[in-house]
Amino acid sequence: MGENNTTVFDGDLVHNFDGKAFEDLYRRMYPTLKKYAVYLVRDVEDAQLILNDVFIAIWKNNIRISNEKAYLFRAVKNASSNYHKISKTNFLHIDEQESLEVWDKAADPSQIYLDKDRNRILYNLIDQMPERRRLVFYMYRIDGFSYKEIAALLDISVRTVEDHLVKGFQFLQDIVLKNETEFR
Amino acid sequence: MRMDQENWKFVLDYLSAKENAHGNVQQIKQEEKKIQEWLSKDPKNQQDLEHALWLWQISAVPPEDDDWKESFNTIQTSLSKEVSPKTVKFRFWIAAAAVFTAVALSTFFYRLQQPVLQNTGIDWVTKSAGAGKVINIILPDSTEIWLNSGSSISFPKNLQQAALRTVKLKGEAFFKVKRDPRHPFVVHSLNLRTQVLGTSFNIRAWEGHRSEVTVLTGKVAVSRDSAGGQSAAIHLLPNQKAAYDVHSTNLSLENIGNAQTAADWTEGKMTFDQTDLRDVFEVIERKYDMKIITDQSFKGCKLTAQFDNVNLNEVLKTIQLSLDLHYTINKKTIYIKGGKCN
Repeated sequence: MGENNTTVFDGDLVHNFDGKAFEDLYRRMYPTLKKYAVYLVRDVEDAQLILNDVFIAIWKNNIRISNEKAYLFRAVKNASSNYHKISKTNFLHIDEQESLEVWDKAADPSQIYLDKDRNRILYNLIDQMPERRRLVFYMYRIDGFSYKEIAALLDISVRTVEDHLVKGFQFLQDIVLKNETEFR
Repeated sequence: MRMDQENWKFVLDYLSAKENAHGNVQQIKQEEKKIQEWLSKDPKNQQDLEHALWLWQISAVPPEDDDWKESFNTIQTSLSKEVSPKTVKFRFWIAAAAVFTAVALSTFFYRLQQPVLQNTGIDWVTKSAGAGKVINIILPDSTEIWLNSGSSISFPKNLQQAALRTVKLKGEAFFKVKRDPRHPFVVHSLNLRTQVLGTSFNIRAWEGHRSEVTVLTGKVAVSRDSAGGQSAAIHLLPNQKAAYDVHSTNLSLENIGNAQTAADWTEGKMTFDQTDLRDVFEVIERKYDMKIITDQSFKGCKLTAQFDNVNLNEVLKTIQLSLDLHYTINKKTIYIKGGKCN
């Protein structure tokens, strides 16, 4: 599948990799890309395999990518759709809208705020969001994808992306407001 | 207290536009103008903006996390350009996904098969697990193989360049094949040919025994593979196994309760379910690197037992109790006396 991707995305490829740059790319891309792969194939282990296959293909073909994010996410998406063709398993994406409001109640502030690092606290909260919302948040905030790009990668509408993001921020705001003294 | 959806949308548009403006003064000015208008609409907006900005800033970077390292380490071996696989010590982790294939190879058929496989002078690499040892091999394509005691596997040096990833097995092995739909993975064992696209499976190829291919997950095609050519393939799904009887040359499909037990040996376990006692002894001989000598044939004797990583004495004591036999151990030999079948 890797060979296949390189042909498709030839325009993104330039120069060679060295080991350090490769490891660095892996480190930077891992958090969101792993979540994305899990989202697509609904299996942590297979997601890991797909993710690693994509990176191995990049390394083997000795290519440097000019638009890393776009390339890697598209490669993972392609690989995942091949995966579905093989496994023939139709995974249902459960609509997560319903479960949203439960989350801030479930969060135990006393536990969370033991951690002094605000950034870590915040990401603890982000990680409690429903899966798709969390993924949208990561892709938007960490990887800097636009609404449109996220919509294409997740096969959802731009409006849904925006909605997830706004609700995600509102969720964070609610908790921060409720626990202002601990946070500020 | 919380900012409503419309305002959040507006503020997020502003924050991301500013972040992505990359010093484009014109654009930043434009964004600032819009936000000033918005701020003047409601005095509460100032505080909301500050709040949003604060969340925006502290969410910019995820906390330092080492999860990626462990994952990265797993591909390190594949990244090295060397052809020979890394042989690593047998580890106890094993994926839920597994396919168990069992194939019996006779020396005769093995020889016949050689010319077919070595058509263009391909260099083959062979790895063996000695008696009493299980080894884990990672092939150049990052397929993982657990090789059972007294088994060997051969693969071409150019495995990755080949259209078909072909390997040859003697004995028993458990495979976790790297998924690659364009390059099917084929295992030749004397009388069976097992083809997969990417999944895990275990092949057993003990001489003089019936071959079995057991699927845990994924899909596997098994066909007879001999000098006479291939037979039609039978397709196995999880919890099914193919069995090939050398004498009747019959390849049959069986449904089984739990395919996972077929790969138990990779975790150091031995599972016997109405297993012929002579086969049980063979398994023990290989696993513990011992020779078993009995004073009777135990023909028709069956044993059902499970041993979870226990030492030889415990195994023998259990068998002693269930079959009422006596054993003595002298160096590498176990002498068994008496015993009666239930």
